[in-house]
Amino acid sequence: MDIEAMKNDRDIRGLIRLLDHRKNDIQWRAADALGTSGEIACEPLIRVLGYPKINVRIGAIEALGAIKSPRSVEPLIHTLMTDESNEVRWVAALALGEIGDKRSIPSLLASLQDEDRYVRYGSVKALEQIGWSAQTDQDRAYYYIALQEWDAIKKMGKSATGPLIALFKDPHPAMRAQITGILGSIGGVEAKRSCRQVLRDPDENVRWCAVLSAIRCGVPTSQLPLELSKRPRTGPSVIGATLLNFFFLGLGYDHLGKWWGLVVLETFMLLIFISQLLLGLVMTVIIWIPIAALFATQTFFMAKRESALSG
Amino acid sequence: MVDISALFGQKKVDIEKLTAAKDISGLIRALHSSDTSTQSEAAKALGSLGPEAMDVLIRALKKKDKDNRLVIIKALTEIRDPESVPMLIEMLKDENSEVRWEAAIALGEIPDPRSVEPLITCLRDHDKYVRFGAALSLKKLGWKPSNDEEKAFLFVGMQDWKAVQLIGNSAIPALTHILHDRNSNVRIRAVEILGELKSTQAIPLLIQSLADEDGDVRWKAVLAAQNCGIKMIHLPRGLSHRPKMKKNPLIAGFLNFILPGLGYAYLAKWWGVMIFELDIFGTVWALKYMGEDFTYETLLPIYFLLAIHAYYLATKMPRDPP
Repeated sequence: MDIEAMKNDRDIRGLIRLLDHRKNDIQWRAADALGTSGEIACEPLIRVLGYPKINVRIGAIEALGAIKSPRSVEPLIHTLMTDESNEVRWVAALALGEIGDKRSIPSLLASLQDEDRYVRYGSVKALEQIGWSAQTDQDRAYYYIALQEWDAIKKMGKSATGPLIALFKDPHPAMRAQITGILGSIGGVEAKRSCRQVLRDPDENVRWCAVLSAIRCGVPTSQLPLELSKRPRTGPSVIGATLLNFFFLGLGYDHLGKWWGLVVLETFMLLIFISQLLLGLVMTVIIWIPIAALFATQTFFMAKRESALSG
Repeated sequence: MVDISALFGQKKVDIEKLTAAKDISGLIRALHSSDTSTQSEAAKALGSLGPEAMDVLIRALKKKDKDNRLVIIKALTEIRDPESVPMLIEMLKDENSEVRWEAAIALGEIPDPRSVEPLITCLRDHDKYVRFGAALSLKKLGWKPSNDEEKAFLFVGMQDWKAVQLIGNSAIPALTHILHDRNSNVRIRAVEILGELKSTQAIPLLIQSLADEDGDVRWKAVLAAQNCGIKMIHLPRGLSHRPKMKKNPLIAGFLNFILPGLGYAYLAKWWGVMIFELDIFGTVWALKYMGEDFTYETLLPIYFLLAIHAYYLATKMPRDPP
């Protein structure tokens, strides 16, 4: 693969194809070659920003960041705001920082509120590169959160509450736990309200942080258990397992996470099949309904006991 | 080997009697006792019986049972006979990591210059327990690393991270070795130290770690890579190479076509098996009452649709956050 020759031949399309090569180092070198090809590569690269393969989009954006053409600013902003891949948004933010065009500041500020920590971090670095500095307290709060400088955020006090609450959408439990802890130390009405909501977080660690923070914010301890009980249950549902076992004996056990559930199901199906051949459909139904009901009852109590244990 | 004394509870084995009778296999059985004092008495007794007992012990090391080897290595540690050193060195290459660990510890108890080289090799074991055992034993044997690279392996084995960092760039081979450790905390420490070294040599390693299976390792690698002077814009590509948890849409579609429902089960839908069972019943019923032509003509298009559906479900499955 002679990337150098392709570059000299101005084979931009060929190089773009290499961005999704199965070898990582070829992807790197192709992106590097495109980045040093100058303005001529700009248009074709902008055209592949919507290409379905992530590696191609990342490589194209990397190259655009090296070419630094003002023409690519608008398309990159569009990618930063709309692309569904975290890595692509991240690299777009960084490329905008490399280009250094002031037009991208509002969009970079907006992506400080992105749900992904990499995108936030990249946006902060890009903003620093463009020479932006925070003017308002809100911007400053987002700035520190993106850098994960938790001590600085704590010092900001109540003015950081809004941005902290807004970033509860982060999919990382560790990040949500961190935010909850800081809200607890800042305190205040809004922090109190959101700590209560976080008591219903799907992650157990985050919920525990929320309990500690809620107490620090002055939520009466007696209210905590009720709030906590409203959380979405991730475990198997009791009624679901019961019904499944009534109609498909064994599948309910499978639903409860028993490895032998499917074995029971297969045995049950085989027995039904045989009894249908020997006794006919009506007799089979008459015999099996009480048996299935018996198993379903047992499943109901078993599932209830297990969900009580799992907390 | 069945542990008889364990079956009958507290029944004490009479070590003296066994020793007097020179019942070597009886003493080896006693090594398996759950009582630690019986274990060590039996070991001492075996030691007192001289070369004959030693031969039996060393031969028993070749048996398949891993617990057996562990117990015998422990006894050899207490007997401290230099005769056993070559066999213990052999055990450093055992397939079981606990046996390797135990053997590394044992060699530290029996001062013998022959064991130094093999223990140094053990510092490059992929199991952190074995590395730890080898490092401790080397210290006990009074080994001094001859260069910084070996020193780094020693400190990595001891998990003395501060000392590793102080060594500087010579620590890179040792850190590279543990970047593939099974424990993500060990990998995180390695990545952090590589970042602190601020060396360009660390860049390719950190880029590899961007594709680590653990999210925290990946994040630390981003932070560390910047210390080493790589522009952040080159990092997202590395992150995008992280392992995909996504299910293969082609497999889901294929399964749903051949065994309708199992494609859904593959995508972790609990009702997949249910559809599979319903399909079997439906097919048998249709074959019996509706005739073959009708059955195939109706079911095949349905299977085809199910296959396409599973395919699309798989492509739409969200990827884990980076």
